[in-house]
Amino acid sequence: MTTDKTWGKKILRDMLLIRNFEETADKLTLRGKVPGGMHNSSGQEAVAVGVMSALDPKDVIATTHRSHHHTIAKGMPVDIVMAELFTKATGCSGGRGASMHLADVENGHFGGNGIVGAGVGIAMGAAMGIKQMGHKKVAVGFVGDGGMNTGRTWEAVNMAVIYKLPFILIVDNNQYAVETFVERVTGGNDIAKRGAGFGLPSYTIDGQDVEEVHRYTKEARERALAGEGPSFINALTYRYYGHNVGEKGQYRTQEEIADWRSHRDPIDRFSAKLISEGALSQGEYEEMIASVAKEIEAAVDFAEKSPLPDVSTILDGVDSGLLGVRK
Amino acid sequence: MEEIFVPAVGMAMDNVVLLEWLKNPGDQVNVGDVIAIIETDKTTMDIAAETSGTLGAHRYALNAEVPAGQTITVVLAPGESE
Repeated sequence: MTTDKTWGKKILRDMLLIRNFEETADKLTLRGKVPGGMHNSSGQEAVAVGVMSALDPKDVIATTHRSHHHTIAKGMPVDIVMAELFTKATGCSGGRGASMHLADVENGHFGGNGIVGAGVGIAMGAAMGIKQMGHKKVAVGFVGDGGMNTGRTWEAVNMAVIYKLPFILIVDNNQYAVETFVERVTGGNDIAKRGAGFGLPSYTIDGQDVEEVHRYTKEARERALAGEGPSFINALTYRYYGHNVGEKGQYRTQEEIADWRSHRDPIDRFSAKLISEGALSQGEYEEMIASVAKEIEAAVDFAEKSPLPDVSTILDGVDSGLLGVRK
Repeated sequence: MEEIFVPAVGMAMDNVVLLEWLKNPGDQVNVGDVIAIIETDKTTMDIAAETSGTLGAHRYALNAEVPAGQTITVVLAPGESE
C-alpha cells in the first residue's frame, strides 16, 4: 500500500530524531553527563513511532526503563527530554528523575520506571479510570520481553480482560532481558499465545515495520473505543546497543547485530519505501537528517546551559500537599 | 583528533585510578590498541583507540585519580597537533 506523503515524512523524521537523540545521549553518558546511566533504544524506533502515530494526543501511555523513544514519539520536545537526562531543573521531571523517570502526566505520559513490567499495571489502572469516567480514550502499557515472565504483567492483563478495559499492551520485544535471550527463559516460546490464553486478541508483528505497528495499534484502539476491551501486541524488534550504556555485551555476536542493522533497520526500510514511491527525494532525505542533527545539537546546548534544581526546592513534589511537607 | 577518555560506565561512577600507560606520547597507535588501563571501584578496564595515528601528551600521571568522562590523551591524525 502506498504511504501518504505528508504522514510518511513526519513518521520518518520522528524515527530519525529518536535515533540521533539516542546516539548523542549514549556518547554524553560515557562522558559522565547523564547521572544514573541510560538505556539506549536505537533500533526500536518503529515500535514507538508506529504506536504513538495511531494514538490521540489525549491517550495515556506508561512505559519502562527504556523510554526515550516512547517519550519523544509521544511528543515531548527533545530539549526537555535531554535536560531531564542531565538532571537539570528544566527537564520534564524537574531534574529529579533522569533517564528512567521521564513523565508528563498532563499530556498522557504516565512515566517510565525502573520496575520490570510496572508500566503494564500503571496503564491498566489508567484504563480503569478512563472507563469509570466514561472518557473516549485508551491507555497503552509498554513492557519488554523480560516483563513477559513477571507475574504482575499477567495480573494486569487478566483484569483488563475481565473488566473489558480500553487497554493496549505493547511488548517492545527487543529479544534480550538484559543479557538473557528471550527463548531461553520463556516457556512455550510464544508470547502472543500467552496473551491469547487470557482471552484477548493477541498478535506477534514485525516491530521493524512502522506501518505494520501503526495499523495493528490503530485497530486495537478502535476495538477499545467500541467497548470491545483490550488487545495484546508483541512487536519483534532489536536494540543495537547494550542493555545500558557502557555494557560490555558478550552475550550476542557482532554478526547478529550487523544482520539486524543491515537487513531490517526500520529507518532504512521506511526511507527506501518513501523514496521508491516518489514521496521523498534523496535530497529531501538528506535535508531531513541535517535538520534533525541541528535540533538535537540545540537540545544538548539547552541541557548544558540549564541550571541544576535549586536545593531549596528539594521537598517539592514529595507529597500531594496534604502532609504539609510541600510548600 | 580522537579524544581518549575514561568512560562513565557505572550507575554512579566517580573517580578511577590510572593504573598503567601502555603507549607514550609520540607513539604510533592503531585502531583497537590499548592505550591505558584504569581501575574502577569494581574492576580494571582497558581503554583502547578507535582511530589510528600518533599519541598526544599524557594528561594524567600514573596512579592519578581521574574523574569519569575526562579525556586522558588524544590520538592525532597526520598533520594534526594538540
